[in-house]
Amino acid sequence: MEKTISFKLNGRDVSITRNPLSRLLDVLRDDFGMHGVKEGCSEGECGACSILLNGRMVTPCLIPLGAADGQEIMTVEGISATPEGDCVVQAFADGGAVQCGFCIPGMVVAAYSLLKKNPDPTDEDIRLGISGNLCRCTGYDLIVESIKLAARRGRDLWKK
Amino acid sequence: MEEVTCYIPRTLDEALEILSKDDCTILAGGSDLMVSHKRTIGVDPRFSKSVMIIRNLPEIRKIYTEGGECHIGAASTSSEIAENPLVPWHLRQAASRMGAVALRNSATIAGNIANASPKGDTPGPLYLLDARVKIRSAKESREEPVSDFIVKFREIDLKPGEMITEVVVPLSEDDFDYVFWHKVGTRKANAISKVTVSMALKFEDGGSVVRDFRVSATATGSKTNRSRDVENIIIGKEISEDLIEEVAEAFDGIISPRAMPEFRRETCRRCIRRFLSEAERRRAAGDRRKMIDTYDGYHMPGAPEVR
Repeated sequence: MEKTISFKLNGRDVSITRNPLSRLLDVLRDDFGMHGVKEGCSEGECGACSILLNGRMVTPCLIPLGAADGQEIMTVEGISATPEGDCVVQAFADGGAVQCGFCIPGMVVAAYSLLKKNPDPTDEDIRLGISGNLCRCTGYDLIVESIKLAARRGRDLWKK
Repeated sequence: MEEVTCYIPRTLDEALEILSKDDCTILAGGSDLMVSHKRTIGVDPRFSKSVMIIRNLPEIRKIYTEGGECHIGAASTSSEIAENPLVPWHLRQAASRMGAVALRNSATIAGNIANASPKGDTPGPLYLLDARVKIRSAKESREEPVSDFIVKFREIDLKPGEMITEVVVPLSEDDFDYVFWHKVGTRKANAISKVTVSMALKFEDGGSVVRDFRVSATATGSKTNRSRDVENIIIGKEISEDLIEEVAEAFDGIISPRAMPEFRRETCRRCIRRFLSEAERRRAAGDRRKMIDTYDGYHMPGAPEVR
């Protein structure tokens, strides 16, 4: 059974006719070419596919397309096009947060989501904020440092 | 197999109308159902009957207090519950430690109850606080204690045509002098409960006699465990070492953990001993701090404080 589902994707109104029980993850990757949305565990545990749904971080591997009807979605593509998102991406690059890179789009979304709510996070806040994003390369330390860097550099951005 | 029908109602009335005609799988957050029905990358999940998505129904996403009770809409997420100061402390603790950030933004309270997993995070506090589920169909409305609604492992008392619309929690928190909530998991986030113990205690005003004591545990049997008979052992009496032991042993008698039974039993016993002895020590010392930690004083950063 197909249905036409409309939502806002990275600020643009879009619609798609597809099985509303398709995973939003597949729809974003296959139909909209959002390949920054990575598939890791497929069960909401690794955070690689993290996106923002109405401003809240969620994992689209757990969300059926139909649940996005009329909602607002931001992927890492949309986030990194904002000044705040760009600040996170630059801080990750400069801070050496990236090794293999597979977890990074999800980490960027988590960092953005955290700093939007809490522009001046402690180490614990940061570790809690990325606690649902698994990284098997870095040991997390440089990711945490890079998020602190993003908080420092973007002080005026985040507090807006 | 053919693809099943999927409904996306806009209002609660529309949802109830659909349910009266078609027996649907009700999907709220999706954090359980999308995993149990998933197939593989790029392949749609397969459901055996019609599905109704209720995630965005505005009527069942509200949290408010009325008549001394906290009403939590069925599709309220763990984040919304953890962040809301109207919600009783034990429930906020449990919600704030479910999965990790993104999961807490999807998982709903009704889903956590309806999944009827003995390791579910919210039933422990809900049993402890005598919470009820409000259930509606197109024609009727009824309420049932969460502890009866969850019949046993993976089985709930929900008839075709019915859905959970609200969870109602009596606000007895101000009646408690001391509270305790401890989840044993293998890590701080994304942990499935190994055992979780929730407790609360109230002394008679200005006295040393226990007016109310409650204890519930999850992951210690086929469903959450709580027994008023066990609690009554100490209610109306003064806390003594002998009575603490009696309560710990009696509670041990009502749980039936399968895997790692001795670890789970010993954890429950220790939590009960810790809470009751510390509550008595604080009472005698005039220490009014409500929240009692485990010995290691572990407290999750970001978790709500006691009001």
